[in-house]
Amino acid sequence: MRTRREILQGLIVSIGGATALTACDGVANVFSTQLGSSTRFYTSAEYALVTRISDLIIPRTETPGALDANVPGYMDGLMTDWANSETKNAHRMALSQIKGELDRRARGNFLDASDSVAEQSLAAFDEEAFAEDGDASGYKRVKGYVSQSYFATEDGASEELKWVAVPGRWNPSVKISS
Amino acid sequence: MADFDAIVVGSGMSGGMSAKELTERGLKVLVLERGPEIVPERDYVDNLAPWESPNLDSVAQDEIAEHYPKQYGGVAYAIKESNKHFWVKDDEHPYEEAEGTSYDWLRGYHTGGRSIMWSRQVYRLSDLDFNANKTDGYGVDWPIRYKELEPWYEKVETFIGIAGSAEGLPQLPDSVFQPAFELTDAEKAIKTKVEMTFPERNIIAARVAHLTDATDEQRSLGRSNCQVRNRCHFGCSFKAYFSSLNATLPAAERTGNLTMVHNAIVSSIEYDAETNRVTGVRIVDAITNEKRLYTSKVIFLNASTIASAMILLQSKSEAFPTGLVNRSDQVGRNLMDHVSGAGAVGMISGFDNQKVFGRRPSGGIYIPRYANLKGQDKPYLRGFGFQGGSSPLGNAGGQIAGIGRDFKEAHKNPGPWRVNIGAFGEQLPNPENRVTLHSSKRDRWGNPLALLHVTYSENEHTMLEEASKDAVAMLEAAGCTNITANDVSLTKPGNRIHEMGSARMGHDPESSVLNSWCQAHDVPNLFITDGSFMTSAACQNPSLTYMAFSARAAHYAADLIAEGTL
Repeated sequence: MRTRREILQGLIVSIGGATALTACDGVANVFSTQLGSSTRFYTSAEYALVTRISDLIIPRTETPGALDANVPGYMDGLMTDWANSETKNAHRMALSQIKGELDRRARGNFLDASDSVAEQSLAAFDEEAFAEDGDASGYKRVKGYVSQSYFATEDGASEELKWVAVPGRWNPSVKISS
Repeated sequence: MADFDAIVVGSGMSGGMSAKELTERGLKVLVLERGPEIVPERDYVDNLAPWESPNLDSVAQDEIAEHYPKQYGGVAYAIKESNKHFWVKDDEHPYEEAEGTSYDWLRGYHTGGRSIMWSRQVYRLSDLDFNANKTDGYGVDWPIRYKELEPWYEKVETFIGIAGSAEGLPQLPDSVFQPAFELTDAEKAIKTKVEMTFPERNIIAARVAHLTDATDEQRSLGRSNCQVRNRCHFGCSFKAYFSSLNATLPAAERTGNLTMVHNAIVSSIEYDAETNRVTGVRIVDAITNEKRLYTSKVIFLNASTIASAMILLQSKSEAFPTGLVNRSDQVGRNLMDHVSGAGAVGMISGFDNQKVFGRRPSGGIYIPRYANLKGQDKPYLRGFGFQGGSSPLGNAGGQIAGIGRDFKEAHKNPGPWRVNIGAFGEQLPNPENRVTLHSSKRDRWGNPLALLHVTYSENEHTMLEEASKDAVAMLEAAGCTNITANDVSLTKPGNRIHEMGSARMGHDPESSVLNSWCQAHDVPNLFITDGSFMTSAACQNPSLTYMAFSARAAHYAADLIAEGTL
């Protein structure tokens, strides 16, 4: 399995970028400067943000992560081919708000932040968003797109969720082994 | 010399059954279908994996606004990018709603009609239902009682296949069953507690038209047992759920007596006043606009409740100036549906160490009607049943807190168990609820648009308010937590896709259109066996009853032909 950094590098090379990456930190920012021309909906900056938060929300573990499954590309297609102008505008606005929140928490450009700072920033923002009095519907929606897109891919559905095409039988009571 | 012994207008739930029974009696039958042909091997999309459909299999939002505002607005859960070809485009098949009213006319125009998109719950009516109008005075009395229909239920059920459990409930007679989909442990626990608290209420397995122990006859039609994929809205390559496309039409076809013509939109029925017989059906080809006439000895109208009434209203003659067999002025009236919009959701603990295997199709539990069983004991007439189930919350679509490994892992766990129940209530017959021909607007084939005027009475509002309270009380009795019941908001008329009543049967030709055989009082070789004949709605899902009446009427018509009466 390729590393996350290799995936990002591969994506950049595939769109004509020649930048040699020397570290994971800042990778999304480099990525953002290269990718704009290949996306159909996202600007390069938006795509970089979606890429970074997708990776943080659903990282590669023993199973493929959001980047392995090309969730950012999936979402670019979703916004281009499915969303109407109202949804597109709302999505852009949400990404802008998310970027602002994450920059504030990262005390600088979130996309330049180290992995640990980026992870802490998003985790704190996520916790607030899902708190009882949380008010971050835009973020929740974006997170929903990330999650739904991931689990709609072959990596997410079959490797992570163990989706079975033809169960063939109904068992209403399966004990979960601890 | 007529072209055919019988013409069946419509190939859906009831049309398929009419065609099967008529052809098996040796009659040469023409089935007219207004939509295109569906070929399962080509048009079913049930074998697509999630990743084989782009954009979460969602129809583009602009496309919904342009083509599917009504259809999608009514059943968003069922219309996906991959199966949208099963649903009509509203802009191509428009209808009108009377000022101040709204109606969801949700349709599929193709082989098998809505039988390939239905939700497959099947329940018999009982004499509680056949006596209802006579008891409380709404509508006219049904000219038939349960005992007369019982053998036809058995015949149809044996053929279509129903998974369910025998319960011995008088208000919901048992069907011929194949093994039920077993309740989850949470559902069993709910059943125990609710039945203990409310002895007059029962929680049973939903009765669904899925094969779980296919018979030789069913296998001979290429059908096999349900594979528990819950891909039913996309067609079923296993032909495990009943549809006319999966079962009755193939059965009719193998007799060698079936002719099917697609893209044939019926504009009117020909009537001969001298013989007092209908003689043929005029159609316009949906593709070529060619007009044709097909003739037959008998005609079965199975175009669906609204469309069948429209065809009658469009078939005017000197003898029937307001529409064929409309001497009673009841054609198009008493349009009913079921009404939902009340229910409750809650969480149930104690099952977090459990999950399920398989994706059970079409519901889990059913709570049969318990209101007004032994007299009028509720502040409303008639009653309702609840449909619902309990299952793990599962993948929350990203709407749970957390990021990273923990968030990802959380999706592998089934999560807490949720319970939901929703009411399906009976709508009273009301002659002011009706479909008429629009005075000026026409479709692209020159036929008048339907003008729908349907509203709910105070009874439906009161019933659903009470259903909401009952739902909460039952979930409380079951020990649920976080119980929520949204404000009662009645579903739009038509939204349950159980429209019925537009050519009701009755004893008296002055106040009804059909007799107890679904035969027109005034024209003996015209039968209507789709939902139009329903004299009252009951609260049970009606397709099984349509098919039982269709089979019964088909044999009656075949008998009349055999003895030379028709």
